[in-house]
Amino acid sequence: MRKWSNGRAFRDAFGHLARAKTRHAVSFAVLVLSFLMAGLFLSLSNNLRQQARVLSRDLAVIIYFKDGATAEERTAVEQRVRLSPLVASVQTVAPEEAAERFVREFPDLRDILDNLGRNPLPASIEATLADQAAAEAPVIRLMDELRALPGVEDLQFNRRWADRVRALGRLSDAVGLFIGGLLILVSIAVVSGAVRLNILGRREEIDILHLVGATDGYIRSPFLLEGLILGAAGGTAAAALVSLSAHLFPLYLGQSLGALQDLIGFAPLTAAQFAGLIAGGGLAGLLGSLAALGRVFRS
Amino acid sequence: MSVMIDFRNVWKQYQKPAWALSDVSFSIAAGEMCFITGPSGSGKSTILRLVTRECAPNDGQILVGGTEIRRIPGPKIYLLRRAMGVVFQDFRLLHERRVFDNVAVPLRVLGLPEKDIKRKVFIALRMVGLHHRIWNTPSELSYGEQQRVAIARAVVNNPRLLLADEPTGNLDPDLASEIMSLFREINRQGTTVVICTHDRDIVRKFAGRVLPLREGRLREREPA
Repeated sequence: MRKWSNGRAFRDAFGHLARAKTRHAVSFAVLVLSFLMAGLFLSLSNNLRQQARVLSRDLAVIIYFKDGATAEERTAVEQRVRLSPLVASVQTVAPEEAAERFVREFPDLRDILDNLGRNPLPASIEATLADQAAAEAPVIRLMDELRALPGVEDLQFNRRWADRVRALGRLSDAVGLFIGGLLILVSIAVVSGAVRLNILGRREEIDILHLVGATDGYIRSPFLLEGLILGAAGGTAAAALVSLSAHLFPLYLGQSLGALQDLIGFAPLTAAQFAGLIAGGGLAGLLGSLAALGRVFRS
Repeated sequence: MSVMIDFRNVWKQYQKPAWALSDVSFSIAAGEMCFITGPSGSGKSTILRLVTRECAPNDGQILVGGTEIRRIPGPKIYLLRRAMGVVFQDFRLLHERRVFDNVAVPLRVLGLPEKDIKRKVFIALRMVGLHHRIWNTPSELSYGEQQRVAIARAVVNNPRLLLADEPTGNLDPDLASEIMSLFREINRQGTTVVICTHDRDIVRKFAGRVLPLREGRLREREPA
């Protein structure tokens, strides 16, 4: 431990990094790219989870009326909804109000409404559920009952949207894990190659160290640190780039996505995720060094 | 007098069918100066490689300082090597590092404080007459000086045993004599010195026990 504490291993590790700049720059770039990919998908799924939370916040069943639904039919549906113990509050939305909301939420699509020359949005009732965590089955039964009433065109339960967005988030996690995982394996191989060349370049020094009685730990520690430092630096750079993307994306590319902006976006990484990318980078570098040391010392 | 190196019926083969060493037995007492002589390929370097346990014998026993070195587990070999110094024909110096750093390598491995390292390196370099070259790199030195740096590195840790593999092979006769005098001086201070050489003039000039090897077999012992 004294050998570590006097900084010899760190000095040697930084010395190795400084001596083979090009080789290490390539390893660094591959590490950054790998963890950037993993980090971006993580950020994307963070955003999708956030959107799912927003959608789940006001769990509601929306009942859309047919164009020709009479006032009596609408009243009958509203009364049936109000009678249900599942429902906490009811709000009726006239077609004009629906159009106003649409323009407010999707200003980019205002032209479509204007060009139609008439308001295509139907009148509706929004029934907010009393228990946000209510089981889905009773709500579905109520919806089936309402769907059978005269004047009702369609029904929508926004929990399903939340579930779909959540599923998208999980998909993003899986894709990120797969692509990031593959790239991280590549980066481990690249780091291993760089460290291996370094070890081979210092073969004579290693032989001398063995002969003067250096322990394996003494000889290996600078090479292990070399991978660890390289990996942690790559992970840090990747985490910083993901955070930068999360801030810059809405300002530039995000606006061009219009209505999809909310779904396809990058949410900032949590502190744990940021630390995870750095630790993951360090681990990848360390594994690369271990693989190189294993191969060289075995041979 | 205690025995420093004891070879008992040692056999060593790198590749079939030739034997690098065949049934070699000898012992070297502590404090002795001994030459192992023979032409290239006779097995001289193999003996040194076996003593440092860079390789293991196929059969027989090798004791260093009373310890059967084959019984030392792999992770503990460093302890054996810390008790000895090794000098090579090609010096094996780190050319991008200064003389000081080259000589300091065995002390840094021990984790000694920098103050002690400086003192011991200076003493070792003064002994080989190179204390004024402490901040030079090996490339700035002559071959004779480079070999003296290698000797300083081998003795800086006051080893009980000094092994030298053709230490004068790259040097002219005058420089070779100079280096041999240095080994003699180190031996006088109590260190067991084992020198492998094919140079019979050197052996004749410097008194010491001779172990002649030919084709991996130890011949009759010759007086110096």
